[in-house]
Amino acid sequence: MSMKNISQEKKDMINLSRRSFMVGSVKTSLFMAFGAAAIPSLLSAKESIEAKQFSPNIWFEMDTDGNVTVNIAKAEMGQHIGTPIARILADELECDWEKVSIVHVDTDPKWGYMITGGSWSIFHTYKPISQAGAAGRMVLIDAGAKLLGVPADSCKAEKGFVISGNKKISYGDIVANGKVDKTFSADELAELPIKPGKKRHLIGVNADYKALDIPPKTNGTAVYGIDVEVENMLYARPILPPTRYGSTVTNVDDSKAKSLPGYKGYKVLTDPSGTIEGWVTVLATDYPTAIKAVDLVKVSYNAGKTANVSEADIQKEGERIVRDRKEGTVFVDEGNIELAQTKAAQTIEALYTTATANHFQLEPLNAIAEFKGGKWHIHTGNQWQSLTLPTVAKAAEVPESDVVLHQYYLGGGFGRRLFGDWVVPALLTAKAAGQPVKLVFMRPDDTLFDQPRSASTSLFNASFDENNQFLGMEHALAAGWPTLKMAPGFLAPGVNGEGKVDMFSASGADHWYTMSHHRARAVNNKVAQDTFTPGWLRSVGQGWIVWGLESFIDEVAMKANKDPVDFRLAMLDGKGKQGGKAPESVGGATRLANTLEILKKKTASVELGADEGIGYSVSAGQERTMPAWLATAAHVHVNKRTGKITVKKLWVVSDAGIVIHPDGAMAQLEGSLLWGLSLALFEHNEVKNGQVSKTNLHTYLPLRMNDVPEMDIELVESEEFPVGLGEPGVIGVAPAIGNAVYQAIGVRLRHLPMLAQHVTAALKA
Amino acid sequence: MIEFTLNGKRVQTDAASDTPLVWVIRDEFGLKGTKFGCGVAMCGACTVHIDGNAIRSCSYPVSLAKDKNVNTIESFNNAHPLQSAWVEEQVPQCGYCQSGQIMQAATLLDRNPNPSDQDIVNHMSTNYCRCMAYARIKKAIKRAATSSVQYFDPTASSEGENA
Repeated sequence: MSMKNISQEKKDMINLSRRSFMVGSVKTSLFMAFGAAAIPSLLSAKESIEAKQFSPNIWFEMDTDGNVTVNIAKAEMGQHIGTPIARILADELECDWEKVSIVHVDTDPKWGYMITGGSWSIFHTYKPISQAGAAGRMVLIDAGAKLLGVPADSCKAEKGFVISGNKKISYGDIVANGKVDKTFSADELAELPIKPGKKRHLIGVNADYKALDIPPKTNGTAVYGIDVEVENMLYARPILPPTRYGSTVTNVDDSKAKSLPGYKGYKVLTDPSGTIEGWVTVLATDYPTAIKAVDLVKVSYNAGKTANVSEADIQKEGERIVRDRKEGTVFVDEGNIELAQTKAAQTIEALYTTATANHFQLEPLNAIAEFKGGKWHIHTGNQWQSLTLPTVAKAAEVPESDVVLHQYYLGGGFGRRLFGDWVVPALLTAKAAGQPVKLVFMRPDDTLFDQPRSASTSLFNASFDENNQFLGMEHALAAGWPTLKMAPGFLAPGVNGEGKVDMFSASGADHWYTMSHHRARAVNNKVAQDTFTPGWLRSVGQGWIVWGLESFIDEVAMKANKDPVDFRLAMLDGKGKQGGKAPESVGGATRLANTLEILKKKTASVELGADEGIGYSVSAGQERTMPAWLATAAHVHVNKRTGKITVKKLWVVSDAGIVIHPDGAMAQLEGSLLWGLSLALFEHNEVKNGQVSKTNLHTYLPLRMNDVPEMDIELVESEEFPVGLGEPGVIGVAPAIGNAVYQAIGVRLRHLPMLAQHVTAALKA
Repeated sequence: MIEFTLNGKRVQTDAASDTPLVWVIRDEFGLKGTKFGCGVAMCGACTVHIDGNAIRSCSYPVSLAKDKNVNTIESFNNAHPLQSAWVEEQVPQCGYCQSGQIMQAATLLDRNPNPSDQDIVNHMSTNYCRCMAYARIKKAIKRAATSSVQYFDPTASSEGENA
C-alpha cells in the first residue's frame, strides 16, 4: 500500500465508517462485517461475506449458542485494547458479555489499513463499532420478531435475547433459525443513532470489568514474537555498523568463529529498500552460538559521515535553528507577535532542552522471515503493519501481496514497534541463506538500533507591557522528526500552506491558552535527523514540547506577579478557536480549566515541609484533534546539599470524555505518569561518536519500584466523545516537577532529565 | 552432557557448558514463559527458581544447574496465589516481564509471608517493568500475602475461612 493510500485510509478512519455494513448468515454463524467500500457491492451481504469481500479490519461472528467472537486488528501491547472494543460492541449489540471472546488477527495487505498508535484506537473505533453493534442488534430484533410472530417494534434486546412482552428468543436460536441477509450503506450506517454515554451499561466511568488478555500474561502462555519458531529455521544475530546510515562493510574475518559448533557463517546484507546500510548478520543452529559468534567475527567498515557526532553537536545545531527565524515552519500565528515584541516594555527569554532518550521496551527486537508457498511470511509483533509491509516487500523485491505479517503480543510498543525496520535484516538474511531465519537482537543491538526520542531545543520569548501584563509569546522548537524519516506522507502544511511540519514534533505548542499574540515555529534538526532515525516515543513531541511550554508559563506567571494556577485558569477561557469542536473537543479550554480547578481544590490543603513544593501543569495530548484534558501536580522535596529531587506524590485529573474501560484507563495513567517521572528525572542517553552511549540497563536507568511515588488519579465523569489515554499522562509530569522544584527552592531547571548536579550547580550560581 | 531437574522432571542437555540457562529452557525444552530481556541480569524478565532461589537465567551458565532443581513459571500450573492476585489486580500491561516478576515475588512470600511495603520494594526493585505497572505489582503481592495467611478468627461462623 502506498503512502498516499495510507493517508487516505487514515482519513477514512477518522471520518468514521465510510463503509457499508453487512449482516449475513453463513453456514451456522451470523457474520457482521464492514464492506470493502462505502457503496455496497452487487452481491448480497451473505454472498459478499461468503466471497470474503469485506474489510476484515473489524468483523464479528455469532454462533448458534450466542457466542460472539470479535476480531481485533489492533496490536496488543499492554493497553488491553481488544476488551474495550468488544465492550463497545456488546453494549450496542446487547449480547451477553459472558459469551464474548476476542481474537487478534494476522495481517494481510488485503485487509487494508492497520496501525496501533497515537492513542487513537478508542477514538477511531468508538463510533463505527457502536454503529456496527446497533446495526447487528436491529437485524437480530427483526429476525427475532419474525420468529416470535410479533411486530419488531414491540421487541427489545437484552443480554442476548430478543424480548416481546412475555415471549423471548435467544440470539443463538435466531442465528440457528433465521436467514439473515442485510446490508446497510455507509450513509444508512452513519444515520444510525448510537447510545449516549448515560444509556451505556457495559462501558463508562463506573463500569467494572476485567481485560480478556490478562490471564495468559500471568502464566507464561501469552505468545510474543520472540516465542515463535518455524521448522528448519536458523538463528541470527546482527552486527551493527558504526553509524545508523552511510557505513559500508570493507572486510569480514570470521576465522575465529569457524571453530564454534553450530556456527553457520555470516551474510553481508544489501538492502534494496535502503532501510539498513553496512549490516552483517551471523547465522547459527542455536541462538547462544550466534551470540558468541558476533564477538568473534571482525568486521571492518568505511564509517558513515556521522561517526563523530555528539549530543553537544545536536544541541548546538538546535540552538542555532531555533534562534534563526528563517528556519523551519510556522504552524501557529495568532495576532502579530513581532508588533507585540516591538511595543513590549519588557521581555523574558528561556531556552529549554531535553536529552536523547530510548524506548527500552523489554522484549528485544526480533522477527522470523520464512519464504513459503510463494510468499514471505513474517512473524513479529508490529504496531504499524501498513507502514512496515511495503518496506519489507521492497527489501524482498516482491509485490506487497506476497508479504504476510503474522501478529503476536508485543513485549512493549511505546512507539518502537510502529515502523518495523528490524524485519528488513531478518528478511534479507533469510533470503541470502535460502532458509527460514529467526533474527533476535541482543539488548545492546536493540538499543543501538533504537529510534530514540530526539534531543530537543525550545526557545521561548514572552512580551510584557509596562505594567507587567503578559502580551504574547514566541516559541521555536527543534528536534529530529520521526515522521519525516518514516512516514513523510503524514507531514502537515504550515500556516498559509507554507512549508511542512511533523505534527508529532509540534503538537502541544498549539496549546489551548488564549493569547493575543502567539507564534510557534517547528524546525527539523538535521544533525539529529542524519545521525539516527528519530522515534515516536510514548507521548512523542508533547513529551518534550510541553515540558518547556508549561515550565515557561510558570516563568511568565512569576514575571506577571500572578499565581501560576490562577494565571493558567484566566487564559483557559475557551474563547475563539479555544472553544473546541464537535465531537472531539466540545467545550475546549473550559474543560481543561475544569480539571485544573478540581486539582487546585484537591491540593489546597497539602502540608509542605522544608524545601518542598507543589508544581502544576496542564496538557491536552495527543493532538488538538483528539485532546485528553489533563491537569497534573507534583509534590517534591529537594535535598539542597546533594541536589536530589524526590517526588513524593503525583496527582492527575483527567477528562477524556466517556471512559470505556475505567480500570484500563487507570492502568494507562499509572504507567504513563511513571513514564513521565522517569523521563523527567532518570532517562537520558547522550549521543557520542554517532551513537547513543548507554546500551543496557546497567547504565540506562529508568524508574523502578523504589522510586514510585504516591499517585492520586481522578477520572472526570463525562458524556463527551471518548479520546485516547495511552500516552497523555506522560506529558504533564516533567513540567509539574520542574515547577515544584522552583516552588521548593527557587531554582528554575531547564534541561531534561533534571539531575542532582543541575540542582547543585544552579544553587551555586 | 549436563543433567538437572526442570519443573520436577529429570532432563539432560548437550548445550555448551557456558550456555546461558535461559536459552536451554526456552529453545531446547520449549518453555517459553521465561523471557529474555537484557542479558546482563539487570531486568529480571528471565527469573527462574534454582533450588528455591530467584536466579537470572540469562546470566547463569547451564553447567551451574547440574543436579539442581530448576523451576519456571510453568511449574506453578496456574495455581500460585500470586497468579490469581495478578489477575484480580489486573497487573500486566504488555505482560512481558510478568513471569519474572511473579517468580521474583514468589521467593519473597516463601521467606516472608507477610511483607511490609518496604520489604516488597526492597525485594522487587531488581525487576524492571517498562509499562511501569509497579503500583499494581505491589498491590498484588500484598493481596497474595493476605490471601495465603490463615489465622483463627473466633467470630467467624465456620472453621478455616480465610480473612
